[in-house]
Amino acid sequence: MVKKIPIGPFHPLLEEPEFFELHVDGERVVGIDITIGWSHRGIELLSEHKTWDQVPFLVERICGICSCSHPYAYVKAVEDLCGIEAPPRAQFIRCIVAELERLHSHLLWTGLAGHFLGYNTVFMWTWRFREPLLDVLEAVTGNRNHYAVMKPGGVRRDIPQEEIPNILKLLDELEKNNRMLTNAILDDPVIHARTKGVGVFNKDQCRLYGALGPTARSAGLDVDARRDHPIDAYDKVSFNVILCEHGDVFDKAVVRQLENFESIKIIRQCLRLLEGTKPGEICTEIHEVPPGEGIGVYEAPRGEVFHYVRSNGGNMPIRHRVRAPSFNNILTNELSVLGNTVSDAGLITAAVDPCYSCTERVGIVDRASGERRILTEADLVRLSQEKTEAIRKRFAALKGNG
Amino acid sequence: MEREEVKKRIADKFGSKVRIAERSPKRVYVYAENEIWVELARFLFNDLGARYDTGCAVDDRDGVEVIFFFPFDREHYFVTIKTFAAKPNPTLNSITSVCPGAKWIEREMFEMYEVNFRNHPDLRPVLRADTRPADYFAAKREVKDEHETVRERDDGDARSDEVAGRPPKGTNP
Repeated sequence: MVKKIPIGPFHPLLEEPEFFELHVDGERVVGIDITIGWSHRGIELLSEHKTWDQVPFLVERICGICSCSHPYAYVKAVEDLCGIEAPPRAQFIRCIVAELERLHSHLLWTGLAGHFLGYNTVFMWTWRFREPLLDVLEAVTGNRNHYAVMKPGGVRRDIPQEEIPNILKLLDELEKNNRMLTNAILDDPVIHARTKGVGVFNKDQCRLYGALGPTARSAGLDVDARRDHPIDAYDKVSFNVILCEHGDVFDKAVVRQLENFESIKIIRQCLRLLEGTKPGEICTEIHEVPPGEGIGVYEAPRGEVFHYVRSNGGNMPIRHRVRAPSFNNILTNELSVLGNTVSDAGLITAAVDPCYSCTERVGIVDRASGERRILTEADLVRLSQEKTEAIRKRFAALKGNG
Repeated sequence: MEREEVKKRIADKFGSKVRIAERSPKRVYVYAENEIWVELARFLFNDLGARYDTGCAVDDRDGVEVIFFFPFDREHYFVTIKTFAAKPNPTLNSITSVCPGAKWIEREMFEMYEVNFRNHPDLRPVLRADTRPADYFAAKREVKDEHETVRERDDGDARSDEVAGRPPKGTNP
């Protein structure tokens, strides 16, 4: 007997608007219908009514977590159109802020995933580790989010020399904490049982669906815009692209945890290279944006952010296209939830780290009888945590017997 | 695959049905006729090994310019393919049979610009409520006067081709 389960319009894990209608046969998901657009704000149209210099303030509001990534891709699109590069110091500052953002985004996801699995200690740890990062971002940019750092041609604020020891100290502390957290996740048999083989989306499927970021890399699809389409300082620093092979929830978590180490590595290199640049030289002036078109891509925490701008030589874009990585990644749920249980569906749909604003309700529909019921956020979290608890008890019993 | 090789193979396969332009070492543009649109996407994605990235539509007075982006990651450049779906009923074949990941962007282009993608598996609106009036397309500009279209204007500036989304003059490289 096949039923349909609606999930949304707010995701149980991420408190953002979406709606999934799960088609279930007993506890098994056999189909899904995804509805997005609950917070469509017409950003692209708004952008066509703002000057080139005003648009970064608009696009950083596409997403509170990726509030550096969207303006970063946008300014790169404008610079592509103008054929200019930011000064070296601005390039390093851009990369430092962008990698600090990746660290806080990945830690945020790990904490929320821990909560959904019933590991509230993980939730509390990660959010404690993340807090000093936001303090550093505030010290460096003036804001915990919406940093207002990017501008076409460079950055708006320099990093004061006296902040550098604080950032280095934070990185040392964060590296130690992230190692502990990573080991705890990699070693926990219950997390293995809950996430391995769950929500699998393989490499070929990733390519067909244009999956991006940790979603693609967890399945072995070797894509990372920082290396593939290097911008600014990314071709001046060394870092590894983290790849796994199974494409399940566990590998997605592993990719994010290991990428944190790479981000720390990048920031340290950028801070070192920053010393060889002249303070204050942070912007190349743009006097005129020529007619034509430009593409800007940047590897945001969730995957490649893509911005396309077209100019007629005026002071505003005549077309601005924004593609957040979630637009490609959320569609992967079309296949990744199939065959899994209702208690795993919330976790799988959250494993791509979706950025819906950039939507929680689960509807269940019995395909045979047409019976419908709604699962609330609390229901989904309870189902997931109950499953973890059952596995935990089973493992404890086995250990007792052994 | 290197840029020159990609340009040559596209020119060899599609001949006069495409116009190829290169505006920087990182950007190759291919202007295609509607009839080879899907085959061009298939050739890039399946035969040449490009990655599917995303798409974009640009509204014009006499049609909608449809653009898809296929990066070659290892070689650090993008191939941008373009075609023009003429008004009053812009219609194109869907590339979802080649890249299923294009489902949502084609749905968005339909809902915003009224580009009707033939053979698309499900052209419901993706961003707004399906209770919206069936004939309302948010980003579509209606032009009822007799003004010269942006696409037809040629003021002698070589870059105006880019603004109007027209293929460049000359022959394929």
